[in-house]
Amino acid sequence: MKKMRKKLFALAMASVMGMSVLAGCGSDGGSSSGNGSSTSGGDSASGDKKYVIGICQLVEHEALDQATKGFEDALKELLGENVEFVFQNAQNEQTNAGTICNAFVADKVDLILANATSPLQAAASATADIPILGTSITDYAEALDIADWTGATGVNISGTSDLAPLDEQEKMLLELFPDVQTVGILYCSAEPNSAYQAEKFAEYLTADGIAYKEYTAADSNEIQTIASAAVQECDVIYIPTDNTLAAYTEAINNICLAAKVPVIAGEEGICKGCGVATLSISYYDIGYATGKMAYEVLVNGADISTMEIQYAPNVTKKYNAAICEELGVTIPDDYVAIVVEE
Amino acid sequence: MLLSLNLNSLLNAMPGSIAQGLIWGIMAFGVFVTFRLLDFADLTVDGSMVTGGATAVMLIKAGVSPWIALLAAFAAGMAAGFVTGILHTAFGIPGILASILTQLSLYSINYNILGKAANQAISVNNYKLLASLRYVNSSGSDRIIFFAGLTAGIVILIAVLYWFFGTEIGQAIRATGCNESMARAQGINTNFIKVLALMISNGLVGMSGALYAQCQGAADVNMGRGAIVIGLAAVIIGEVLFGKLCEKRKLMFAWTLLSVAFGAVLYYIVYAVVIWLRMPSENMKLFSAAIVALFLSIPYLKGKYGKKGVKRNV
Repeated sequence: MKKMRKKLFALAMASVMGMSVLAGCGSDGGSSSGNGSSTSGGDSASGDKKYVIGICQLVEHEALDQATKGFEDALKELLGENVEFVFQNAQNEQTNAGTICNAFVADKVDLILANATSPLQAAASATADIPILGTSITDYAEALDIADWTGATGVNISGTSDLAPLDEQEKMLLELFPDVQTVGILYCSAEPNSAYQAEKFAEYLTADGIAYKEYTAADSNEIQTIASAAVQECDVIYIPTDNTLAAYTEAINNICLAAKVPVIAGEEGICKGCGVATLSISYYDIGYATGKMAYEVLVNGADISTMEIQYAPNVTKKYNAAICEELGVTIPDDYVAIVVEE
Repeated sequence: MLLSLNLNSLLNAMPGSIAQGLIWGIMAFGVFVTFRLLDFADLTVDGSMVTGGATAVMLIKAGVSPWIALLAAFAAGMAAGFVTGILHTAFGIPGILASILTQLSLYSINYNILGKAANQAISVNNYKLLASLRYVNSSGSDRIIFFAGLTAGIVILIAVLYWFFGTEIGQAIRATGCNESMARAQGINTNFIKVLALMISNGLVGMSGALYAQCQGAADVNMGRGAIVIGLAAVIIGEVLFGKLCEKRKLMFAWTLLSVAFGAVLYYIVYAVVIWLRMPSENMKLFSAAIVALFLSIPYLKGKYGKKGVKRNV
């Protein structure tokens, strides 16, 4: 009798486990996942193949979201109803990226979009056959462990890079602040892309004979400390396209603006929060370009292994009007003010 | 949308989930040693997992054999466990805090191991790796060799652990976990035993990290985030679901370890189902935590429930 009850109890527990999956994860079913489930079941024009594309995005983040959106928009324009997106978010965990990409491969999707570095590495590990396109990745050679880089990967991978032209960013810094003595470079040490940009930027500064200091935060808790140190020792600060810092621009602004130290930002999101000016690439644009590459691969049969990595098609000089005014920085005419939507 | 679900694709995803589960199973053995045998909540694992992965990846990239890299990862994990153990026993820092301190410091250490980078890629195209998602999804002999090897590895590991925890020193670890004062009264140097158990535990975790990094194609400074929860989930799911089956069997300890490995596999199968159902994976963390909390509370609730039953019988 007692045994029986225990068995029932175990069974009940198992079903609770099952239920909690449904309850925990199904509560806001589909609202945030843009997996574009078929809207009209009407047309059965089976002549066109319907492509299934798995999208693995590293984390919820404005820039990455924009890239995904651009990708989806491009393919929806080119393929209409004949494309289905399966969107999965890895919540900033490498483990999850592996599980997700494995599921895509098992699902035999037609193409995988890897949005950021960890998903790209997981996808590359998971399949050598299914074409993989990356986006929001700065340096493919580094991310994929390719020694002799030629512009294309030579394997089933291509994509777009979010690398803004760093030499032009450095020129912009000198254009706006010709008297600069020391530039402080701020970034999060956990982000390989940021370290890469910081290194390149430092090279350009050195070439122009400008001193620089690097300040790295291991995580968001340290941002305030490094920003406070930087404003003491530097007269201009540069922040690359760093996801961690991008989330705390308000904190950085409170420190830098109070100390009257201007910030040059690697992308528009950061500039909107705490920067004076930026050379902006649009993540929507690189996502859109990736979508067009996907079309070439899927429909026109382009060989992905020889497709060169593409860069942002347009860069725009932008400035943050409110902060420029407060710091008394004069901006040349060819800059565009960042629209602040209130 | 449910109509578009294809049972085949779930089945096809299973090998990957099982492989991930087995690799995390090794990590869960480590958690089992500290959490269950030693009764020590060791959070070092979030860091030592990365230490193992980073050590292995850097060594393999330097041309060292992956097998030697695996051993080095074990040693690196042991070093991490040693630090936690010393902080706790020699300096009297409460266990959980000591492990948090080590975990924190490991971030910087791992960053340096990775050559001052947050992420080091290792491609299966360039090296003959021990584990890779590629093997899992290949149709040829790679897949069979990989799974056979992984399963054999787990069985060997269980055999070694079974043997070790039957030796005098292994028994001393279990005794220390059961009743520290009593163990000391028996002449066991409990401080030494604790350090040793932490080293073994984190060594296993480091080894799992090494395989895991190869599987994913990169070691990332953040890859251990939340590892302890997955490890605990594996231990607890295994115990709750298979505990009854293990009881009173011969070789009970070995069966318990096997159930821990099954627990890890189950965890990943459930995750695969979540993804297969195309639920928003953003809620996965809540789900993991809820599962662990639920299963942790079962023994307590069972106790309460059981006692009442006894009273009624009397």
